Order: sequence, then C-alpha cells, then structure tokens
Amino acid sequence: MSAAPGKQTASSVTMDALWSNNPIFRQILGICSTLAVTNLVLNTVVMCVALTLVTALSSLTVSLLRAATPRSIRMMVETLIMAFYVIIVDLALAAYWPEMRRNLGPFVGLIITNCILMGRAEAFAISNPPVLSFVDGFMSGVGYSFILLAIAVVREATGMGSILGHPLPFFGGPYWDKWIIMVMPPGAFFTLAVFIWVFRALSAEKEAKRP
Amino acid sequence: MKEKPWYPIAYMFVVTAVPSALLIGLSEATRERVRMNERIAFEHAVLLAVDPALPADMPKKDIHERFVEQVDTNTADAAGALKHMRDGAVAAYALPIAGQGFWAPIKGVVAVDAGRQRILGISFYEQSETPGLGAEIAQDWFRVQFTNVAMDAGPAPVPFKYKGKAGGKIDAVTGGTQTSTRLERFLNAQLAAWRERMEGGDR
Repeated sequence: MSAAPGKQTASSVTMDALWSNNPIFRQILGICSTLAVTNLVLNTVVMCVALTLVTALSSLTVSLLRAATPRSIRMMVETLIMAFYVIIVDLALAAYWPEMRRNLGPFVGLIITNCILMGRAEAFAISNPPVLSFVDGFMSGVGYSFILLAIAVVREATGMGSILGHPLPFFGGPYWDKWIIMVMPPGAFFTLAVFIWVFRALSAEKEAKRP
Repeated sequence: MKEKPWYPIAYMFVVTAVPSALLIGLSEATRERVRMNERIAFEHAVLLAVDPALPADMPKKDIHERFVEQVDTNTADAAGALKHMRDGAVAAYALPIAGQGFWAPIKGVVAVDAGRQRILGISFYEQSETPGLGAEIAQDWFRVQFTNVAMDAGPAPVPFKYKGKAGGKIDAVTGGTQTSTRLERFLNAQLAAWRERMEGGDR
C-alpha cells in the first residue's frame, strides 16, 4: 500500500498509518502507554486525543523547521518540540480537567517519550512537507488510538464489567465473575498480544505477496 | 550559514527560548485557575469526609460556599484538624492525612466525630495509584466502609482486613495490596498520633 518514496500522498500516508504500517501492530511502538492506560476506556480516550494532537502538531512543526534545523542537533530540537506540546496538554488538563489529570497521573508527561512521536518525526516529518507531515502525525495517532480503544473496551468490560464506568448488561451482572487480571498489567499483555495476532493474521496474505 | 560552527548553538538557543516563553506565559495565565482547582479539590475532600452522602456532581461554587459556611479552618485548637461546625459547636473533626502510596503520595481527609470515638468518613484528593486497582481507594465502595466505624484503642484505630488474615474492619483492595498496606500504615499512624495529641491536651 505504501507509495514509492518521494511520491507520498495524503491517502497513502493515511493507509500506511492506519493499517499497513500501523504504529501498534506493525511497528510495535507506543507499547508502554498501550499497556498502562488501557484498563479504563475514558482514560484511554483522553490519552489517545492527547497523543494524536501532540504527534500531529510535532510533525507539523518539525517539518516547518526542517530546512533551518542543523542535522547534528535535530533530535534535540524534535524532543524540545514534543515536550512543548505535551506541556501545553498537561497545563490545559491541570486548568480545565484536573480530575482527568489526576486519573492519568504521570502518563501525560510520558507522551514525550512515546516512540511514535520520535518515530514519525525522524521517519517522515524531517524529510517531508508540512501538510503531509501533519496528516502523517495525525493518522499515526488515529492508528494508535483505534487499537488502544479496542483493547480498553475488552479490558474494562471483562475486568470491571463496565464501559466508561457504566455497568454492562451481562458483564456487570451476577453471572459474570469479573476477571480482575484483565485490569492488571498481565491482562494488558494478553489482550495486546491477541490484537497483534489478529490484525497481523488479517494482513498476512498481503505481506506474503510483497517482494 | 548552517555550516557555521556557532549556528547550532544560536539555533538551539532560539528554539528553546521561544517555546519556553510561550509556556511560561501559559503557565502564568492558568496559575490562578490551577490553584483554585487544587483548593476546591481539598475543600470537596473535607466535605465528603464529614458527609459521605455529599452529591458527587456538586458544582465547584457550591462546594466552596458550603466549605466557608460549615468548616472552621483554625486548626490550632484541634491538633491540626479542621472543624466541621453545626449550630456553633464542633460536629466533627476533619484531619488531613498524607503518605506514600504504591506509585506516588496519597493525600486525603479522614473525619472523626466530636467525641473522637468513631470515624465518619474518608476521602482522597490526590493519588496516582493504578486505575482499577490501587486507585479503587477513592471509589465509593471502599470509602463507604469507613462510615460510622468505631475506632479501636491503641496504635491502629482502623485495621484493614486481608484475605487469609484474621481481624480487621476495612476490606483491603483486591489487586491493590501494596496501596492498601501503605494507606493502612500512614492512616493509622496519623490518626493515632492526632488522637494522642488531642487527649494529651497538646493542641
């Protein structure tokens, strides 16, 4: 699905980020937060929105500055740009949604170290035009988000018997013995592994046909 | 120009200075709001501890007004506790507690009746325990266990109950044993020390 180098379009970048080069089940990036925040759907939604915005805006800024940025210090500059946007998100949460900031704890700040950000900056934004870089960053965030949300739904439903804190008809009732392990760290590993297995199996045929 | 030896230093300086200035400006612009949020979180925790039936979705303005109306913040004559007043008399004490949780500090408020015999409630306004596990200490099912619990004499006024161990009054959190044991330790230590100070007249 990837277009040839130098001939990237918004649609090829989108398909790459969402499917053929998905950050989670293809590149296995951003796994720390995937494991950490997916035991509750609401926390996952906020984390996904924050990461998508930060990745898109970081890629845009890295791309805008790429002609002026000396190669020898480019990674320092990229990290600085990412930290700038992450701190904005953190300040906004502290001022306007303190309860969510308390829920996410250190994971908002840790977006700075999310490999997806540096991965997209280095692999794409540093050598592509701004609009395309923005699309790439945004879609990489969306590609990360839909896997995380799927994992979070499975974990919260089976482990807590609820979705977004609301009890589910079957899982929240007396016939379902909540699987506490699903909201604990091992549950994240099991669910992520199953999702990677399923998604890679779905795209296995195309992968086999690649030269 | 990019090849000049001074260029990377000057570039890094500019790229650092501009975002830093913007962030300082943003931080200053939201400082009062953040302080107010922290203050309201504490006031809500105090009111929730003395009245566990307090509505969860109470507007911030109402929380502040009720706090100002009902809580005496002069802690000098209550060994560090705030006083919940009713008809001019102390109806309850609200003791701020704090200690190390599994991941980060836990801060909360425990309310004790005026006779210092029973716990009325507990609430938390700062904690970063694992969501779904240790963070369950802030959920209603855990907090409601403290409502109207008689305090034991000695160093552990409210011992926790663990699977396979006899005794205890408060069910520890399943999957959150580290959080539970740490909370139990600092809650009991601070509660017992406060009671001792109150009984000893060292206020």
